[in-house]
Amino acid sequence: MINSLILLIISIIFSPFFSGLILKVKAFFAGKKGPPVLIHYYTLIKLFKKGSVYSKSTTYIFKLAPIVTLGVSITSLMFFPFSGYKSVFAFEGDIIMILYLFGTARFFTILAALDTASPFEGMGAAREAYFAIFAEASLFMILIFFSLLNKSLSFSDILLGENAMSLWKASGVSILFIIISLFMILLVENTRVPIDDPATHLELTMIHEVMILDHSGPDLALIELGASFKLLFYSSFITCLVFPFKFQSQLLNVLCFFIILSLVYMFIGIVESVIARYKMDKIPKFILSSFALAVFATIFIWR
Amino acid sequence: MGLFYFSIYLFLIGGFLPIFLYKRFSLMKISGIVFISAGCLLSMIGAFLNLINSLNSSIAFKYFHNFSIAFKMDALSAFFTITICLICLLASIYSFHYLNHPEKSFRTAVSYFFYSFLVLSMIGVVNSDNILTFAFAWEMMSLTSLFLVIYEYEEKDTSIAGYLYFIFTHSGAMFIFASFGIIYSLTGNFDFKNLSNLSNIAQITIFVLAFIGFGAKAGVFPLHVWLPYAHPAAPSHVSAVMSGVMIKTGIYGILRIYFLLDTNIYVFGYIALIAGILSGVLGVVYALGQHDLKRLLAYHSVENIGIILIGLGIGMIGLANKNFSMAVLGFSGGLLHVLNHSIFKSLLFMGAGVVLQKSGSRSIEQLGGLMKPMKITGTTFLIGAVAISGLPPLNGFVSEFLIYFGSFKGLFIDNSAFVLSILAILSLSIIGGLALACFTKVVGIVFLGEPRSEKALKVMDENGITLKIPMIILSLFCFLIGIMPKYFAMLSFKVLSSFGIFLGANSSHYTKCLDLMNNISIMAFIFIIILLIIVEIRNLIYKGKQIGKKETWGCGFTKPTPKIQYTASSYAFSILEFYKPVAEIKQSSIKITDLFPKQVHFHSQVLDIAERLIISAIVKPILMILDKQRWIQHGDIHLYIGYILLAIIVLLFFV
Repeated sequence: MINSLILLIISIIFSPFFSGLILKVKAFFAGKKGPPVLIHYYTLIKLFKKGSVYSKSTTYIFKLAPIVTLGVSITSLMFFPFSGYKSVFAFEGDIIMILYLFGTARFFTILAALDTASPFEGMGAAREAYFAIFAEASLFMILIFFSLLNKSLSFSDILLGENAMSLWKASGVSILFIIISLFMILLVENTRVPIDDPATHLELTMIHEVMILDHSGPDLALIELGASFKLLFYSSFITCLVFPFKFQSQLLNVLCFFIILSLVYMFIGIVESVIARYKMDKIPKFILSSFALAVFATIFIWR
Repeated sequence: MGLFYFSIYLFLIGGFLPIFLYKRFSLMKISGIVFISAGCLLSMIGAFLNLINSLNSSIAFKYFHNFSIAFKMDALSAFFTITICLICLLASIYSFHYLNHPEKSFRTAVSYFFYSFLVLSMIGVVNSDNILTFAFAWEMMSLTSLFLVIYEYEEKDTSIAGYLYFIFTHSGAMFIFASFGIIYSLTGNFDFKNLSNLSNIAQITIFVLAFIGFGAKAGVFPLHVWLPYAHPAAPSHVSAVMSGVMIKTGIYGILRIYFLLDTNIYVFGYIALIAGILSGVLGVVYALGQHDLKRLLAYHSVENIGIILIGLGIGMIGLANKNFSMAVLGFSGGLLHVLNHSIFKSLLFMGAGVVLQKSGSRSIEQLGGLMKPMKITGTTFLIGAVAISGLPPLNGFVSEFLIYFGSFKGLFIDNSAFVLSILAILSLSIIGGLALACFTKVVGIVFLGEPRSEKALKVMDENGITLKIPMIILSLFCFLIGIMPKYFAMLSFKVLSSFGIFLGANSSHYTKCLDLMNNISIMAFIFIIILLIIVEIRNLIYKGKQIGKKETWGCGFTKPTPKIQYTASSYAFSILEFYKPVAEIKQSSIKITDLFPKQVHFHSQVLDIAERLIISAIVKPILMILDKQRWIQHGDIHLYIGYILLAIIVLLFFV
């Protein structure tokens, strides 16, 4: 318990660093020097120091949304078993509840966007709601897969229990499918490049970034923190599936976990550098292909 | 049971007194409300005591020798009675400030009369012990609710809605009575007796007929067509009662008939599950396309009936396969969703009623920014919206969680159960996503942003204490069930364990479920504690900081108007376009052609596939055939007497 709590805190503290890795990789591909790896810490500190400006149209929901998104992300991390340690909390079915908690966060983010009465933010909100429907179906298809293979619906059981998932066992092929599918969902849910580009200059083409246009100062920092925790959650999930080994030494385990984790982040960076953004109407097809992968994987292991 | 019968007299007084007092408007309303709510409270307590002590109280008396009236309150009846009384109690309190037109005093008095009889007949429906009593109470319920719907009968839409409701509810009753007729002809008595020794075909026929009839009342796709007409037309407290509890009597009927039959027959579960999936997904898709607030909520009833049926279907499949953990999870999830849906749906209808009363508009596109003048309505509506989207930590999530869990158990049974469970899980997740989209649309467009029209702009207050109290109580219930679901799940376990079929389920199945409920509580508490910590930290950070107030950033555009905001139609458009095969969007607009364009307009409407199918496949052929028979009705009285004579002579051959 103490160990896992310490590990949780370490992961939380390091998560902006990992996001910085993505930027470094992208800069490398573009032949630039890129921002420092610690750029996200600087941004957070800068934002926390500032005050805020609120739109006259907004109500308390606008201030509530960053709190809820951050709260959801932290809660979800508490149920995640980092690098072979049991998670801080675990119970049968926690995975369903976490997926739904992400829904709660999305609900409030969308409301905060509509709260500003800005047409841009309304547009982003509509897209977020639209794509989330497919992403959720895809995630539940992945859950069905886990439940069939593992007979459990808890993160700790799926990743650590007797029948722990592993790429290196008999059903490895289908797990490979699941990892690819999960990675596609990661790109969707965390506003990564083929779906959404946080760095674009035109609000009309954004999804998530346009929804938080009017947030400023510490509120924006809370949102950024929540987003980086969510990315940490998804990438650690993939890391645990790719790398289920256990060494004798705990230290070695933790070290390997973080190395693989940063490799996953770097891979995100590579994907962002080599793939161009999709047109909006192509995105549902992208998400549905991740759904199809999960369905195929389930058919492989069934009977 | 004594408490319960005493309440009947209270309902009768609450029904008749307002008619005599109609000249004094406020006194009339108070007299009606006090007696009706006292009756609700008493029968709720009576039913609650019955349920927790596992009593079966019954009463029967004969009427005209062979017409026997019998009531019996077992656990299932008690559960539904509690739900009915809770909602009817709060809705009657709500009506005090909602029905505020002294010039319509007599009409209001009459509506209290019908209201009290509606409550009484609903309680009668769920407590009746034989077919005749059931049929009597059922008809009374249908008729009293019809008169409540046509409160504003002089408006054309309302009278059409009332007519449609009348037709649907009675064609549904026809199917129910057909199934009762089969029961009577095969068993020879009117009691709700065990029918499991009948032949399979007879049982399936009984179930299908009853399912169609009760489904028409509950609003199962494609028999839901009356809901989106009747709910907007009715006064809001009546919509709250009708959508919150009256349609649940359909669910009660399905359950009652199901438990009389042989639960080993697989088909029952398949029918319920597939009907549930269809109404769940399509209900929410159509809801997304609506511009009328109350019509949208009506379609959400279709969706939630779908979720309930998915739960019951999972339970039935579990029972047929003797998998008790799946059965317990499915049935208790479905039952708990009956309670949950009645709570948040009536909360939402009450909120919509306040919006309607203060702004005079039901159209979502005309509203906006109502959170500022209506803090309590807005907040409680938001709570209801989070709850109905099935999001933790509120109550909608709890029942969906149970149903999810039951469906995951079904993956391991056999091929057909595997496929159906996958369908159930996926459709639940899609329903969840669509409901989230739909309710962010409602809350975001109606309560947030800037007012989109004069009507929304003129809303200044939300006065009327009796409007707010019921909504606050209901939203507290949403939290209570969401955070401590254990005690409410125990109620549904009580119901299940009262049925003989569940004898095979030992206590470990229930304790496992209770563990799940405890886990939900733990997680909800963790989440709330983390939220509170973040709020504290945020307050610390903001201490002494500069807070500015400016206009929304317009991307360089300096003259923003409320008209440039995203509308409900544009918000939902891309989602609806994906579902085009089942939800066709009809658009009409005037294109801008000249240099100096005249006034333009744009209208879009989502067409309900069920409505079109019913019109083209049922209504039109029937009309065509009947049109050809018009010569029978010629208006000549001599020939009519001839008809009577002929009928008697023909009958003489048969009798």
